[in-house]
Amino acid sequence: MKNILATGIAAVALVTGGAAMAEYPVDNNITFVIPYSPGGGFDTIVRQFAPALEEAMGTTVVPENISGAGGSRGGQAVHRADADGYTIGIYNIPGLTVNEVTGRDQGFALSEVTWIANLAVARYGLAVAANSDINSVEDLCSKGSPAKLSDTGATSTASVTTRISFGIMGCDIVDVTGYSGSNDAMIAVISGEVDATIKPVSSLKKYLRESGSGDLKLILTLTEDEVVPGVPTVADIGHPELAKFTLNRVIGGPPGMPADVVAAIENGLRAASESDAVTSWADGAGVELGFMGATETAAMMDDLATFYQEYKDLAAAPE
Amino acid sequence: MGLDTLIDASLAILNGGSLAYLAAGVLLGLTFGVIPGLGGTTALALLIPVTYTLAPLDAMYLAGGVMGATSFGGSISAILLNTPGTAPNAATTFDGYPLARQGKAGLAIGASATSSALGGLIGLFTLLLFIPVAREVVLSFGSSEFFLLTILGLAAIAVSVKGKLLRGLVAACLGLLIAFTGANQFNGHTRFTGGIDYLWDGIPLVPALTGLFAISQMIELALKGGSVADEASRLEAAKMKISGVGEGIFAVFRNWPVLLRGSVIGTLIGAIPGLGGTVAAFLSYSSTAQTAKDRETFGKGNIKGVIAPESANNAKDGGSLIPTVAFGIPGSAETAIFLGILVLHGIEPGPQILLQNEKEIYGLIVALTASAVGASILGLIFARLLVLITRIDVNIVVPVVVTLSLTGVYVLEGRMADVLCALLMGILGYLMIRFDYPRLTLVIAFVLGEIAERSFHQVRLISDGQVVEYMLSRPVSVLLILATVVTFFLPAMRKLRWWRQTGTAE
Repeated sequence: MKNILATGIAAVALVTGGAAMAEYPVDNNITFVIPYSPGGGFDTIVRQFAPALEEAMGTTVVPENISGAGGSRGGQAVHRADADGYTIGIYNIPGLTVNEVTGRDQGFALSEVTWIANLAVARYGLAVAANSDINSVEDLCSKGSPAKLSDTGATSTASVTTRISFGIMGCDIVDVTGYSGSNDAMIAVISGEVDATIKPVSSLKKYLRESGSGDLKLILTLTEDEVVPGVPTVADIGHPELAKFTLNRVIGGPPGMPADVVAAIENGLRAASESDAVTSWADGAGVELGFMGATETAAMMDDLATFYQEYKDLAAAPE
Repeated sequence: MGLDTLIDASLAILNGGSLAYLAAGVLLGLTFGVIPGLGGTTALALLIPVTYTLAPLDAMYLAGGVMGATSFGGSISAILLNTPGTAPNAATTFDGYPLARQGKAGLAIGASATSSALGGLIGLFTLLLFIPVAREVVLSFGSSEFFLLTILGLAAIAVSVKGKLLRGLVAACLGLLIAFTGANQFNGHTRFTGGIDYLWDGIPLVPALTGLFAISQMIELALKGGSVADEASRLEAAKMKISGVGEGIFAVFRNWPVLLRGSVIGTLIGAIPGLGGTVAAFLSYSSTAQTAKDRETFGKGNIKGVIAPESANNAKDGGSLIPTVAFGIPGSAETAIFLGILVLHGIEPGPQILLQNEKEIYGLIVALTASAVGASILGLIFARLLVLITRIDVNIVVPVVVTLSLTGVYVLEGRMADVLCALLMGILGYLMIRFDYPRLTLVIAFVLGEIAERSFHQVRLISDGQVVEYMLSRPVSVLLILATVVTFFLPAMRKLRWWRQTGTAE
């Protein structure tokens, strides 16, 4: 009896062991951690990618919302999981990078995360009210009193971007933070409560004359190449380094994931980002897909850490 | 243009499939509303993954059904168990529960159902009227108006705690203290977190409210024993065979000014993002109680005390769509999730949402209307059955409610810490009941505190430090300042008049 049991256990161990050594993923769900509540930008992109990723990988993908502590609770959960490829997560970058640089303890180190891919990228633009006299950054910076800009939290990526870029340009501003969402921050510009705001171009688009309601006027894009015809870029005004400010949807996993597992997920995500379902959704929802593989993503993360380290003082939230 | 789409949307809902989604939404909304701790936001958040596979319009019917039905569902538990099913029903407990204890639960539920349905209809009608000027309405509310509205809300608390001013103020200060926990919305610095990560995002609203209202009330009931309706009224009610539902319906029509005022307050507060139904219902209740001729009977089972908050509570859904049709921004937690569902379907909400997604928006409006009416009719049909809850031994009621509400708290974010938070708040709430401190005062201060702080900092920066001059230059701000002054001095003026009258009489 005992023997039979032992053989049985050995057989099971052999089978599972063999399967683990064989092709990843075997019959196991992949948990995709979203560090924010359902309905937001991070949640939406994961849920859009999930079905296409399932198809590409041949296994079930389960999105799981673990929100809290500004996105670090979800990051911690991924960090603690086994590095077997069955738990991955999406990260708020550069939000977490900035937190780390400014010395906030997030319960895990970004440098230890196994970076897998970058799904989307949002580039920033500077907008003023359509009926405003301000037509350029120069106008904005020479209006007599410091220009007022609107943002959500002071630790939000847009707010950090605003403080650092105007700091680099040597222009004195007041960043009015505390608006409940980026839409509210843009409406503060429309209502004339503040002068301008820096927001992702894809969010600003719906308020521009060319592509939306015509309430806002784009006066600068934080890009090296022209993305909106006729609107100057930061390269045009002599600050190409400001094009580094982007908002990314980065995918990573627990520290020390095997290279073949990373490659499998990377390929799955790439196939998903090229699928019809995802591309047509991105078109409609104004999401700019910008797929990057594991190596490229890891390099970008290093690059960002160095970049924000340099502007650490400007990045820190004001007292 | 708008009317045609509205009629089309109304006809489209009669299609078998759409009607099924709407009905499913209504039932789900009612259930989630009745159970303390679960609410419209939880129901919609859980539905997000489900709507992924639906057509956008069917998703709207489902969401609209849920949104329209939760607030009435929540009033049922507020009336029968003194435990608001959703936070906005808190004000309904003041007079709804005393009515239930007097054996008049049927009357209260009848009135709540009717004022919910009519409040919802008035709110949506107001929304349709407001659509052409929605942009102006939203743009005239800036940081200055947000700040002044929170001050008006706090002033309304101060005058509503008659006879218990000091206790009311203590509770409100405690509410502010709770509101200021966690990351400061303005500059991101954390406060009062004691090194606990959980507190970074502040004390979460749903667990806190579930604890303060549901858990604390269950502790109170469990310690008291017996059943909700007291013995005398039980015997009396047994003789009367729980009628009064019809009387409740008529009470709403008899008190139409209360209904109308509640609906207008609900629509306006709903239109302002961030304030929400709790504040709307409370302001409606307190303004009715302050100005009524029979104000001494409020809190002891006055039917107007049910009509006022319930009409406001349902009207706010219509109002919360004003910022949505104007700029594609949410006016409430529920509309935020509703916009999230649109994004999931590849629709980017923006200022032109009404032009580009007319069908979806009108679909939601029709669903909301149908749901508010449908839920109330269902409620009226089952009212007699529901009232029996007040006769059940609390030893059965308490474990069921505690289990369901704590499960609800856990489900929302999947965090065990939320359950612990609800339990701690439950103990705090029980102590407040025991020592007679008003809980709603704490909650209103908790809801308003964060907005007040943040918008004050914004006004300070925007006005270059000239806060008063800036406010006085804005017409809506001036109106709000006047309203606050009137709120403060109304009780004093009334007292003065009373003194004069009694003086001349002598």
